Amino acid sequence: MGKPSFVYVTYIRASAEKVWSALTSPEFTPKTWFGTHHETDWKAGSPWRLVFPDGRVADSGEIIEIDRPRRLVLRWRNEWKPEIKAEGWSRCTIEIEPAADDAVKLTVTHQLEGDGTKFIEAVSGGWPRILSNVKSLLETGELVLKEKKS
Amino acid sequence: MSKPTFVYVTYIASTPEKVFKALTSTEATGKFWFGNAATSDWKVGSPIEFHRESKLILQGQILVNDPPRRLSYTFQPMHNELYSGEKPSRVVMDLEKQKDQVKLTVTHDDFAPDSKVFAGISNGWPLVLSNLKSYLETGTTPLYAPWYEKEAASAS
Repeated sequence: MGKPSFVYVTYIRASAEKVWSALTSPEFTPKTWFGTHHETDWKAGSPWRLVFPDGRVADSGEIIEIDRPRRLVLRWRNEWKPEIKAEGWSRCTIEIEPAADDAVKLTVTHQLEGDGTKFIEAVSGGWPRILSNVKSLLETGELVLKEKKS
Repeated sequence: MSKPTFVYVTYIASTPEKVFKALTSTEATGKFWFGNAATSDWKVGSPIEFHRESKLILQGQILVNDPPRRLSYTFQPMHNELYSGEKPSRVVMDLEKQKDQVKLTVTHDDFAPDSKVFAGISNGWPLVLSNLKSYLETGTTPLYAPWYEKEAASAS
C-alpha cells in the first residue's frame, strides 16, 4: 500500500485542448470548480493558488510540471480548513490521453505526501463533482451541478 | 488487512427513476455498456446475465432490487480465461436524488483473495459509468466497443 491517495478516471467526448481549458481557463474554471479560479502564470516552478470568489485562498502550491494539453502536476496544500491544512502537502497529477476518435481519458491522481485521512476524504468528495461538471459542460453545454452547497 | 473495494461516484443530470431504468434495461445497457445487454427478471435471487453478440460476458444473481434507490447483484465475468475460477464479487449501486441531478455511487467489493477481476473492473467501471452519464445526458455514448476491448485487454 502506498501513500494515501485518490484516483478518478472519466472519459469525455471532447478534445484534449478543450478539457484542459475547462480545467484551467478563467472562463471555464469558475463554472466547473464551483466559483473558484486559479491564480498562476502556468509555468513550471511558479506559484499556484485556487481562490474563492470572495478572495479567500482555498488551496495553494506550485506548478511542478506542465505539458499542455497532456499533463499537469501541482504541489498542493489546503489553506482554508485548518484540520485539512494540518495534513500538509499533496501532489495532484492531471493527465489527458486520447481515448476514442473524439474522446479523451482524463485521470486525476491526488496523493498525500504524509499520512492522514481528511485531505483525501475531502478531495474524494470534490473531484467527482468537478469532473462530472467538466464532462457535462463539454458534452452538453450545461453543468450537472449548478451550485455549491455551502 | 482490508480487502479491496472499488468505489466510483458520478453525478448525472437526470432522475433516479431514469438512471435506475437505464441500469435495468436490456436495450439501454446494450448501448452504454459496450454492447453488454443485461437480461434478468430483476427479482431478488434471480440470475442476471450480460450478453454481447450472443456471447455470455458476465453473470450474477440479484441481491437487492429497490427502485429507484439501490440495485445490487453478484458479479462474475465469463468471457476471459484470466478470470475463470474466481468466485463472484458484489456490486452495489446507490442512487440519490440531489436537486436536479442524481448522485450515483457504485461500490464493488467482496473479491476473492488476489483477485484479477478487481484490476479489470477498476478500468471498466469508469468507462461504463462515463458512457452511462453521456447516454442519459446527451442520448449518445462517447465510447465504442472496439476500443473498450483494447482497454480491457491492456488492463489484464
